Amino acid sequence: MGLFEKPKSIWSILNSRPITFYTSSFPLEKVGSSFFHGERFTSRPLTGEGAMASHTFLSLLLFYFYTFHLVHPIHCSVGSNAFDTTSAPQEEFSEELLLKPLPDYKVLAHFHFTSTSPPSSSNGQHHHLFPKSIAQLVKKYKIRELELSFTQGRWNYDRWGASDPLSTANGKPPGVELWALFDIPTKEEIDATWRNLTHSLSGLFCASINFLESSTSYSAPLWGFLPNNGDLRYGALPREAVCTENITPWLKLLPCRDKAGIASLLDRPSIYRGHYHSQRLKLRSDGLNGIVIEQTLSVVLQPIDRTSWSMHQLFKKSLMGKCALAKSSKVFLEIERSLVSQNENILELVGEADMVTNDQRDHSTIYQYNVERYSEHEALDIRVNWKKLLQVSFLQTPLHASRFLMGSGNERGSIAISLQSARNSTKGLYDNSKNCFTRVVIFQVVPWYVKVYYHTLRIYVDGAIRDAKDVVEKINVTPSEDKVSPGTLEMMLQFPCGMMSAALTLDFDKGFLHIDEYPPDANQGFDIPSALVSFPDFISRRIYPDSISSPLLQSYKGRNIVKSYTEVLLVPLTTPDFSMPYNVITFTCTVLALYFGSMVNVLRRRVSEEERLAKSKDKRKPGLIPLLISKISNKVRGIKEDSANQSQSSQPILGPKVVFKVVLIALIAVLGHYFFNSS
Amino acid sequence: MASDPKGSQLRRILLIFFSLSIILPLSSPSPTMHNNNWAVLVCTSRFWFNYRHMANTLSLYRTVKRLGIPDERIILMLADDMACNARNNYPAQVFNNENHQLNLYGDNVEVDYRGYEVTVENFLRVLTGRHEASVPRSKRLLSDEGSHILLYMTGHGGNEFLKFQDTEELQSHDLADAVKQMKEKNRFKELLIMVDTCQAATLFSQLQSPGVVAIGSSMKGENSYSHHLDPDVGVSVVDRFTFYTLAFFERLDMYSNASLNSLFTSYDPTLLMSTAYYRTDLYERPLNMVPVTNFFGSVMKTIPTDSAYPGFLVAHASEYATISAETETARVVLEDEADHSKTYDQSEKGLQHILDEWLKLLEGKLGVKDPEVLVAYGLGSMVLLLTISTWLSS
Repeated sequence: MGLFEKPKSIWSILNSRPITFYTSSFPLEKVGSSFFHGERFTSRPLTGEGAMASHTFLSLLLFYFYTFHLVHPIHCSVGSNAFDTTSAPQEEFSEELLLKPLPDYKVLAHFHFTSTSPPSSSNGQHHHLFPKSIAQLVKKYKIRELELSFTQGRWNYDRWGASDPLSTANGKPPGVELWALFDIPTKEEIDATWRNLTHSLSGLFCASINFLESSTSYSAPLWGFLPNNGDLRYGALPREAVCTENITPWLKLLPCRDKAGIASLLDRPSIYRGHYHSQRLKLRSDGLNGIVIEQTLSVVLQPIDRTSWSMHQLFKKSLMGKCALAKSSKVFLEIERSLVSQNENILELVGEADMVTNDQRDHSTIYQYNVERYSEHEALDIRVNWKKLLQVSFLQTPLHASRFLMGSGNERGSIAISLQSARNSTKGLYDNSKNCFTRVVIFQVVPWYVKVYYHTLRIYVDGAIRDAKDVVEKINVTPSEDKVSPGTLEMMLQFPCGMMSAALTLDFDKGFLHIDEYPPDANQGFDIPSALVSFPDFISRRIYPDSISSPLLQSYKGRNIVKSYTEVLLVPLTTPDFSMPYNVITFTCTVLALYFGSMVNVLRRRVSEEERLAKSKDKRKPGLIPLLISKISNKVRGIKEDSANQSQSSQPILGPKVVFKVVLIALIAVLGHYFFNSS
Repeated sequence: MASDPKGSQLRRILLIFFSLSIILPLSSPSPTMHNNNWAVLVCTSRFWFNYRHMANTLSLYRTVKRLGIPDERIILMLADDMACNARNNYPAQVFNNENHQLNLYGDNVEVDYRGYEVTVENFLRVLTGRHEASVPRSKRLLSDEGSHILLYMTGHGGNEFLKFQDTEELQSHDLADAVKQMKEKNRFKELLIMVDTCQAATLFSQLQSPGVVAIGSSMKGENSYSHHLDPDVGVSVVDRFTFYTLAFFERLDMYSNASLNSLFTSYDPTLLMSTAYYRTDLYERPLNMVPVTNFFGSVMKTIPTDSAYPGFLVAHASEYATISAETETARVVLEDEADHSKTYDQSEKGLQHILDEWLKLLEGKLGVKDPEVLVAYGLGSMVLLLTISTWLSS
């Protein structure tokens, strides 16, 4: 509600006006924007008598512009993509939204924004659509690839699908997950860069990503997460809160923010009310294509009315036209085959799509809507009605993975990963021939205070224990080091195809933390980040005809390995009761004092000696008469004597006599010094 | 017992000598203009039932943003996530009133430190500006000698401390040390500390840096209470002190003329159920002359310059030119500033004058250039002073 925000957002106020051309970044970069005023007029409806006059004015301006364009091509290359089609690659931006009805009557809304920046040799490049902060980040930290995700909730692989490209790419572990590939040769340099990168990202995205800085929180997997040459760093913060403050800076990377286009649908209370919420930033940078960033936001929403929903009901906002800077702006509705392949369509669509296509293998149907056609007067609103309520399920992973803790107490426990086969999903897998194997890769990072004993790995296949040698094809373990590094496990397993279930267990001891290392809410327990279970033999891909040019559907074509994240584990550790030490100290002190005092008494005290002393004292005591006399005399003389005694006794050591002596000596010394010098 | 007054006498004389030697090299305080505003807003409480502390902080955040401090100059520290907390019935929304008219969490909140990052260490690092090299700019308080800083803190506290996250405490000494360090590093011109916690007044007891005003919600031995409970949210949503502070600010806009004094007098102890405490003895300007927007807002001056990259001289000349065209309040403030610097000069001149006289007298009496003789005389005078002092004290 604030009138004044960071300088960027002053632009966002401008964005809401019908200006067609402006830059995405700081106002300083807005070189040559004054030339585009001519264009700005064209976008406004011209009415009445002023129309003619402005037409002539417009043509004059356009003429001026074109001549200018010929004379000063440098100026025009900044900021314009409508006129400057001749020059080499341009910065591009496209926005897409994919809606997908889920079998449990929820709706998946997947926002997909792509920005590309052509490669450039110069350091101080101007950007007009591409976010400058990201470009600087890539340059400074020499990032080849990076993915940052903020997730709240857990992707329900059972119901919402597991082996289609959307769920493999967008199912993310709860909290923050960050991984990056660097273009840096040495390991030390990569670590240092990673540390700086986490701080930069934490500043950019208002999150505590800087906690990934410490070497205890990130790891360098070689092949379990993504095959690499040791230049990958991976870190996860399972308990990081995800809220509005994270999406605000994320939206500021878009040229239109949330003021226009598809992003204007993002009503915060609606999207944070969802069952699952994952906001991602993925970037790739190479010399050939420059920098490409994909910003995606996947939300699973529950419509108020289960049988019928529309876009407006879901987001409480209407889509009134595209972001003027976007090259393409499309809304897709993807309907899985399993929802329509029944005898009758159980879904009914209201609204006319611009294009309807099926993917190559006929898994799903895509309805495409071009946002350009819609405006303030005619907002795009897709409505879907369920004609019949029934339970179907989407494509599953070959094995359903889940992870849990076993054991009790605060001393030790074990981690178990269970894999259950989902028979109905992929049939080719389940022939019982002996030569058929399914490969499963497990990647898990465990913080150092959960001390996993990797030699205790036990593997059960269909309930029977199996020798690890038979099942494990490849294994890479980096044991944890106390307060230095986490334990990393990368493991490739081979299971026979006919297997129904498998389980892995690993024992661990719980460590003790230093008193400073406990978080304020230590009693809540400690989170172990999700493990990643991937199936390298299975690839999720959907190929749509090339007639749809869409970065989102393009990404569907990639060779994405089917994978799923397991649950986050909550390990209760022994938490210190900070009042306890005080109790213990006071109690032991009391006991010790009592014991020690009585012991000293027993050992050292000589009762007979004391009695003798007391007797002798009594002897020395004056008799009754002299005592009386002295008392009387005291009374006669009164307190005078006492006070005199007191004052005498309280005479300080540094009396005036002493001081006088000191002064005298000092005077003599000074005089002597003076006389000796003058003579 | 008797040696004590003697000793103090001695100390006093030594102090006079010492202070005289210190005053000599003291440069005159440069009257830098107030040219920017910063705000550090801290909610130190974790856990859902402390919802109101976050609402307090966010209300202040909204207010200072509304009054013109940009997001990049606000350091917002929130110890827990209330807006997207699983217990929050209104996801991504935070209210400070049961009428739910104002969503404090809006669409444009930027939290700089959150969750476990809100620690005493980080708080002191922000104040003193001693960060690791990699800490981004958005997490730093980049104020300078022309900055007015608003420091707002809320949480649970007690006698001379404020709890952070239920595990750590910020003591009044820590705060005073940090402020002192800030002053020495020229990190602020004026600082307003506002604290809403139980026994808030005790937190200011150790402050000793000039240019600091402090407002606390309660005196020593008093509690600060919450204002009201929202049955829908399920917890108290705002504290009394902050509620009435906001009530005061809601009437204002960026160009309002209300003074700090009017803010201080707006607190009614019967409504607050505690006595608001102000510490103004370190602050030189009269409070009724200081507009609240000097701390809670940012009224920016536009300084037109002749060229795009002006030299210092050009900037100065135009600065004075625009000052004459300032608004009424600003002018009052500026005049006040000028007055203050004048009095400072006078007092300093007086001291220097006495010192000069004394030196001249000494030189005249001696009339010799020999330094040895001068030293001897100096020793002599010291001995004399010593005897006088002992004689006086005996």
